[in-house]
Amino acid sequence: MAKRAFLTLIVVLLLFLGILPVLSMLVKSLVVQGNFSLASYGSVLTSGRQWTLMWHSAALSSMVTLLTLVIGTPLGILLAESDMPFRRFFTILFVIPLLLPPYFMAVSWFDLLGRQGLLAQIAGPVATRITSDLLFGLPGCVLVLFSVFLPIPMLLTMVFLGTINPRLQEAGRLVSDWKGILKSITVPLILPGIMLSAMLVFILAFGEFSVPNFLRYDVFPVESFTQFSAFYDFKAATAAAVPLVVVTLLLMFAESVFLRENTYQIRPSQEAVHSPRIELGSHLKWLLSLVTALAFIIVIVPVLVLAVQSAHTEAYIQALDYAGKSLLRSLAYAFIAATLLVSLGFFTGYLVQKKALWCWRFVDSSLLFLFALPSTVIGIGLISLWNTRWTNFVYATPAIIIIGYLAKYTALTSRISVTGLAQVPPSMEEAAQVAGAGWFRRIFYILIPLAGPTLLAGWLVGYIFSLRDTGITMLVYPPGHETLPVRIFTLMANGSPQLVAALCILMIAAILVPGGLLAALATRMKYKVNS
Amino acid sequence: MKKTILAIFAILVLVMAGYTVLHFTKEPSTKVSTVTVYVSEDQVFSEPILKDFEKDTGIKFRAVYDTEEAKSTGAMNRLIAEKDNPQADVYWANEPIRAEVLKQKGISESYFSPNARDIPARFKDPDGYWTGFSARARVLVVNNHVKDVPQSILAYTDPRWKGKSVITNPLFGTTTSHIAALFVLWGDKRAKAFMNAMKQNRTAISTNNGESADFVTAGQYDFSLVDSDDAVNRIRQGKSVKMVYPDQGENDTGCFIVPNATVLIKGGRHPKAARKLIDYLLSRETERKLAFADCAQIPLHPGVEIPSELKPIDKIKTMQINYADVAKKMVEIQPFLKTWMGL
Repeated sequence: MAKRAFLTLIVVLLLFLGILPVLSMLVKSLVVQGNFSLASYGSVLTSGRQWTLMWHSAALSSMVTLLTLVIGTPLGILLAESDMPFRRFFTILFVIPLLLPPYFMAVSWFDLLGRQGLLAQIAGPVATRITSDLLFGLPGCVLVLFSVFLPIPMLLTMVFLGTINPRLQEAGRLVSDWKGILKSITVPLILPGIMLSAMLVFILAFGEFSVPNFLRYDVFPVESFTQFSAFYDFKAATAAAVPLVVVTLLLMFAESVFLRENTYQIRPSQEAVHSPRIELGSHLKWLLSLVTALAFIIVIVPVLVLAVQSAHTEAYIQALDYAGKSLLRSLAYAFIAATLLVSLGFFTGYLVQKKALWCWRFVDSSLLFLFALPSTVIGIGLISLWNTRWTNFVYATPAIIIIGYLAKYTALTSRISVTGLAQVPPSMEEAAQVAGAGWFRRIFYILIPLAGPTLLAGWLVGYIFSLRDTGITMLVYPPGHETLPVRIFTLMANGSPQLVAALCILMIAAILVPGGLLAALATRMKYKVNS
Repeated sequence: MKKTILAIFAILVLVMAGYTVLHFTKEPSTKVSTVTVYVSEDQVFSEPILKDFEKDTGIKFRAVYDTEEAKSTGAMNRLIAEKDNPQADVYWANEPIRAEVLKQKGISESYFSPNARDIPARFKDPDGYWTGFSARARVLVVNNHVKDVPQSILAYTDPRWKGKSVITNPLFGTTTSHIAALFVLWGDKRAKAFMNAMKQNRTAISTNNGESADFVTAGQYDFSLVDSDDAVNRIRQGKSVKMVYPDQGENDTGCFIVPNATVLIKGGRHPKAARKLIDYLLSRETERKLAFADCAQIPLHPGVEIPSELKPIDKIKTMQINYADVAKKMVEIQPFLKTWMGL
């Protein structure tokens, strides 16, 4: 009873925070002068140009997804399971591009490869003409988005590898080498994580507008953006966002068909945690070189460009003076949002994973629907719903930013919770139930500790996405309460490049410090779970 | 160890929660007079002025700034969406066209500031819904390696510069206003022919004026039509570019001028403070500060001191245009521009 009541409350909360604002936008897009009308949808996909844009978006997101999976999954396996040195260092390094809004990375690449970028000073104008031509277009977009989203499959692979029962792999060793174990045991067991990362990367790349816009590659989200920015036509903008959502729902359907039959096992022994199961032997040298080269190209070089640009003490003093308060605000909002995101995500994840209420599929789809919607649609929806005299205590305070993050990013923590909970055998909860433990006790003493490392990963993901958000924050932040990424964006217009670069470096640091703390906590929790 | 980390984590969460709660409690109880302003002018230029206002008057300001990445339309979208319960008291528009849109949508309110008496009538709404100040000129930024410097926007259609020019996406910002002004001035037929010729001359499209100026600075293109602040900014940074006021000949159309505009928001919560802020923005002193700032904006009050890079407004041949007509034309030509952009 308590379970049903509580989960119903969670669904109501979700409806209130995320669905209602967007629903109000959708309904408005279907009403013209008081009557039902599809006029706003008239131009969506009706011209050849729209289909071309859709094709561009599909090509870009497919390439980015494929590349990040093909490289991110083995990279995750190498960094989690092999005896390669500096694994933790590489893990942190590869995560850095995900910490910044993708637009910043595109600007950094432009500073490097543009016709008067740093490369031009080293390699001369002919080389930079070629790199500049490549940067502006599909290859440049793929490169930037690949570097930004690579950590997603990498991290999810690592998280899922950490949940495999090592005895299965040890048993495999008796009959096969590590390649065989990878192929027949490890990869099939982490398939849900790979699928989840594929879906997330595809959705993120499909909805991405700032990088393709900067690098001159027309994609479908430009339509919704144009309706907002050039025409101030909220109805048409909402209509133009709907195809993005349809693609997401199709992906979700494909995922559910793919993963219907998967089962999971948790790891029972502590000693297996530390022993790397892949001894690289003669492969170590070239693999280490390859990983180093990749890190150098996609992380060190662009970050170095920022570091070189910001290499003045005054830039950092000015940055702290300009944006010290924004940095504190960002950290505060991201901390609170991540904690709420992981809480809400855990319970919606529980609802979906256990099919605890009849509406579990609606909850799952709604969350992904919100994640796929352009931030502007959610932002305007939130304004329409919350900006009244009676709800000013929410709208005129930072609470509205947190609500925006919950609406947009609960899908991430929910999905991560689903996969984390799937690794806990139902028998454990059932045993506790038989022993007389109530639902809340089972949640807090059985499920949360066992899914702990995955939940911490969820917290970190929620923290990163909240901290780097600009789309929603930009539209709803109360006057005078801008966050650091918003501050950087507003200063980018005619602000000094040194100052902007220094702010980006501060932002990276702001994420890495709590990230490191969390990583330490996750490692400790793994011991607990496994012992 | 684990307990320690958990304790640190819990403390951090509590501190952050406390910080946010402070915001909740602080806002309504404050007795200091405040004004909320939404700003489309770049933050680096507008914030120092607002801080001076706070220092000089004791009225605290709370601001929402726009970003160039969002085409400076975030504030406009918010103003429109917040129409029924406005949060802003004043809108500092970076061009009068947005102010005209707000007037048409019933979001603004009339106010004739005593500080605007000297400002020429063509830079003010006759009904008082917006008042112009500190203008940008639409200029050509030209790379110094170009020997035969273009002197007119018609250079975009000149085969000499085929594939060598760049213009900002005409669907957004001051470029839209400029194109709309050409439609008003020339008529649809000639303006459309100009746009099509520009396209045939392989003019590249950038996402914003700053980026256009950067492309020219980088030598990727020879010239671009940008706002004067973008050009002056690069010149002051020591980049190898020059600024040309286009179409200054006797029979030429003149240079399109884009003033900032102050707008009083209808139903704002601090109408008194809002009027004081508008008066402050429209003062000669603010215009002087904006002229000497990196944005190098041209004062509209006569006789205000200006830096050497700028020409006084009365020495520039300006395009004779009615901004209300431009705003109307801008809406009319959006389908054409969308098609022109291939959308």
